[in-house]
This record gives sequence, structure tokens and C-alpha cells, in this order.
Amino acid sequence: MNATVMIRIPTPLRPLAGGADELRVQGATVGEALQALDDALLERILTPEGEVRRFVNLYLGPDNVATLEGLATPIREGDVLSIVPAVAGGNAAQAKDRWLAQLRAEIPAVDPREALELQRAGAVLIDVREPDEIAAGTPEGALPLGRSYLEFRIEEAVPDKERALVVLCAVGLRSLFAAEGLRRLGYRDVRNLDGGFNRWKDEGIPFQVPRMLDANARERYARHLTMPEVGESGQLRLLDSKVLLIGAGGLGSPAGLYLAAAGVGTLGIVDHDVVDRSNLQRQILHTDARVGRPKVESAREAILSLNPSVKVVGHKTRLDSDNVEALLSAYDLVVDGSDNFPTRYLVNDACVKLGIPNVHGAVYRFEGQVTVFWPAYGKRRGPCYRCLYPEPPPPEMAPSCAEAGVLGVLPGVIGLLEAVEAVKILLDTGDPLVGRLLYYDALRASFIELKLKRDPACRYCADPARFPGYVDYEAFCAEAGA
Amino acid sequence: MSEWLEVASSEGIDPALRLPPALKELLEALVRAGYPEETCGLLLGRQAEGTVEVLDLKQARNLNRERARDRYELDPADFLAADQAARDRGHQIVGIWHSHPDHPARPSANDRARAWAGWSYLIVSVTPDGVRELRSWRLNDGDFIEEVLE
Repeated sequence: MNATVMIRIPTPLRPLAGGADELRVQGATVGEALQALDDALLERILTPEGEVRRFVNLYLGPDNVATLEGLATPIREGDVLSIVPAVAGGNAAQAKDRWLAQLRAEIPAVDPREALELQRAGAVLIDVREPDEIAAGTPEGALPLGRSYLEFRIEEAVPDKERALVVLCAVGLRSLFAAEGLRRLGYRDVRNLDGGFNRWKDEGIPFQVPRMLDANARERYARHLTMPEVGESGQLRLLDSKVLLIGAGGLGSPAGLYLAAAGVGTLGIVDHDVVDRSNLQRQILHTDARVGRPKVESAREAILSLNPSVKVVGHKTRLDSDNVEALLSAYDLVVDGSDNFPTRYLVNDACVKLGIPNVHGAVYRFEGQVTVFWPAYGKRRGPCYRCLYPEPPPPEMAPSCAEAGVLGVLPGVIGLLEAVEAVKILLDTGDPLVGRLLYYDALRASFIELKLKRDPACRYCADPARFPGYVDYEAFCAEAGA
Repeated sequence: MSEWLEVASSEGIDPALRLPPALKELLEALVRAGYPEETCGLLLGRQAEGTVEVLDLKQARNLNRERARDRYELDPADFLAADQAARDRGHQIVGIWHSHPDHPARPSANDRARAWAGWSYLIVSVTPDGVRELRSWRLNDGDFIEEVLE
């Protein structure tokens, strides 16, 4: 028995219904009523086989006809049949979305407050964002390990696999992948900061804006940055360091070049001399073209062409009792490459008084020695230069390079050992040559380590508070030779 | 499948969607409250000469619970209710809104595959920081073109 039914047309199909929003038709069943529609409209609703298309639903009143008798569902006078388009969408289905959903289910999420509580209880916050993002702010105390080298660095940074880790990125997505990586390395308690650093900031939890290397420095010092003993904080420390080279000669040349390359921020150079052609056999800061020019100028040119970010301070002067303290006190460390005894005693006395480490080197033909005079070193009490040599040797016992000659390469070896000691001390890493002297015999190709004892009665370092004063070093050394 | 969905044509018309500030605020609040899940609903109003005027909007249940963060499948019951509400006031359903959590307000391939011509698709990009942007799209020859949001 036929009944009249109102078919409601959704907006997208109205152009096929002459613009009508509903059509009144007759039929005994839903299927029959639909047959009354124009073919163009009908074929959008039914397949050629007469099935309801899967992106369309038919509702009779409030009920989906699929839950009734389908197209055979009988209709009654006055029924309303609605054509309901399936409405769906969403982001593109990608493998990463499925993976993220899985990681979300597996890795416990914490909100910023919970993360802060965990940190106070001993958990480590790991910031895996890019350096430029971290530079704009990171939670206080968070390790800025980044994502790309995370697996390489984490075990050095957090050796304890039982320690709780909270991983964070900007919104909490990249950190899920990072957290997964950390779990694979064996960290048992890894959590994800839900909402990431953005939420941390939004909730008003304090953060710090860390000092970071710029992109140029990051590239230049990349091989340092991957070393746990240096890393970003160590490199920043080197950049903040001020080292004074006593002499831009055989020892100062290699030391100066490598310290500049390593990123020591300020290099002072004391040298009153000019470049002589006979220097070029070993003094690699200088060039043939610069013969006759002041060594401090030549050294500055060489260093800046290697690393323009280094601040080079030239002191074209002869060190003496009057200027030594003003000059040395501006530096953290002294690399002594001097070639004469008055300067060695003067530098020693000033370093002892000022508490500055004095990295000392000396060369003779095929032999060289290196040590660190630093009575103020906190971990071991070593001697000063005067403990070893209370007075200078007579000149015939201590010939200069000019008199005795030196293998050109030899100061390269010793100057670089001095540079290594300098970098270790600046980074506060490893065991410095305090109270130890490394003696190198190039002909035998052997290193010998000598233990150096302090002199408890040393007038200069036994009690730095009772500094006996500077002397006339030229006269002091001349007397020794007399 | 898309050929069956392309019925209406907006050829030669520069489409625009007019969304009153009060409805925009309501929409943003709904989307923010739903984050991080994807929220969806219907736009009710009038269509005339390429301009769509939104006069009301309804939230709908997302039937896709499994993938609620990046999928929506609007509950037909909510469609029916919204359709009735629109008809009661002489309006019609003029489009669909849905959110893209942590994604830009551009239609995905999935959005395009499931879209109907003749409706506006208003997409709201939302992050933990709040709503990032609103953009509206309309199917034209199988591709989405952007509508001017007024």
C-alpha cells in the first residue's frame, strides 16, 4: 500500500533535485520511494546493483534503515526519509601517526607540574629540541642534549639506567620518538612531557634562557661538541678563557695556533722581538713575507686567519717587574715559552703571587720538557719554578737555542703538550702535570715522567701571603753566572 | 569515488564564508576543549551567490574513537538533529567544521577524498598553545579551493 513520504535532500545533492531541499514522493517501501527520484539523483544514493552507497546513510525518522529492513523497510503516511551524507575526514593516514599513537599508549605522559616534581625527586629532564629552540628557553636544569646525537650522548650524561628521565620537545611529539630511543638503550623509567615546553611556559613554570653557541661556532667546534669532556658548556668555557703566551717563538707558535683553533677566546702574546728568517725553521706563526715585522703583529695575522673569532691582544714589550702583574692578572693561564732565565723567574714569581697556572716548556736540541707550576692547584700541591731551581744555572750550563741549536720540530712537540695541558686546565678535566714533569727524548723516542717535589721552605710559594717581592731579574741571573 | 561526490559546482564564483565573531569564539572554545582529540561538527546557515553565511554551529560526536586524534566520522544522528534545527529556522547545513590537532588548517588527502561538493569545510588548527588558524575550503573540480573567511 502506497504512502506519501518526504525525502530530505542534503545540500550537496540539491542541484540534482532542482534545488529542492525536500521532495514528496509515494511508495510502499523505502526502495520504492527512492525509485520515484530522478535517475541522476538516485544513482548518487544507490549502486547499479541497488545497494545503498557506503558514503550515504538513509534514515527513516530517527532510525538508520540499515538497522530496520533496509530498502524493504515499509513506510507509513507522513514519514520523513533523510539522505544523510557520510561526513568524515581528518589528517592523512601516515605510518608516523600510527607509530605516535602506539608510543602515546606505551610511554607515560606527565604534565609540567608532575615533571617538576619528578625533577626535584631526582629525575633528569632531557630537552631534545633543536639548538635554536633551546636557545630561546629550556626548563632549569634540563640537559639540552638535542635529538640527533641523543643516543650517543645520553649514557655519558646519565650513566644510571634506573634514573627517571622526562623527555621534552616543543609540543610533546618529537619527544615520544626520543623517549622510545632511550627505552631501547635500557632506561627503565622514561616519561614524556605532555604538551612539551610550550605548555611548560604557558603554565608559568620558570625556565632559563641558556647561553648557546651560534651556528658558526657550532660548526667550527663540532668535533669538540660531540666529546662529553668538552661539549657545549666546555666550549663556552674555552671561549670565555684568556690565555697569555709568553713569547711568540718556538713554543708559543704551535701552542698559540692550536689554542686559537680550539677556541680559546682571548690570546695575549708578549713578545718584544721582530721576526728573523732563522726563526722560521720552527716558529710556525710567522712567514717568510713577515720577516722583519714585530712578532706580535705577525702572530695576530696568523691566528686571525685561522680563527677570526679569537681576540688577540699583542703586548709588544719586554716583561719586567713593573708591568708583569698588570699584564698577567688579566689572564686565566700562562703558557711560558720564554727563552731566558730572567723571564722564567719573573713569570714564575708573578704566577705564584697571582695564583695563575703556569704551563712551562723548555727545549734543547733533541730534548724537551713540560710541566705545570701551579702551587694554588686545589687537588695536589706541586712546586713552583723556584722550588726546582732556587737560582739560575750559570750560562754555560744553559745555552740558548741560538747558541746550542734546536731541532725545528722539537718545540712543536713540547709547545703542543703545553697547549694540551692548558686546555685541560681551562676545562678542569683530566690530571694536569702539576708536580710532574714530562721529559721527551726525541733521539730515543721516549717519554719519562719525573716527580717534582715542592720546597716547603721556598721563599716564593711556601706562603703566597708572604710574597718577598720582585727582584732585578737580569742582575739576579747575571750574578749566577758570575 | 570523488566523481559521485562532485555534484554542486562553484565555477566562476569567488567563494566566501561569513563567520560572525561570536560563533568564531564558540568554535575556538569547542576545539580547544577537545584538544588533543579531533573535534567536528556542522555549520548551519544560508548560501547565496557564492557567499556562505554561518548563522549557527553544532558540535557532533566523533564516531572514530580509535583514531580520535587524527580522524573524524560525524555521527549521523547529530547530522539529523542539526538538519532539523536548520530546517526549523529556514536554514540549511552549509558545511562541516573539524579541528586539526597539531597540524595546519589545510585539508589532508583524506579530507579531500571524503569531501562533498557544495559544502564549506572549515578547518581549525589547534595546538597546546591554543588555536593557530582557521581556514575554510570548498571542493571545486576535485580540488579544494580556499574560501575567503569574513
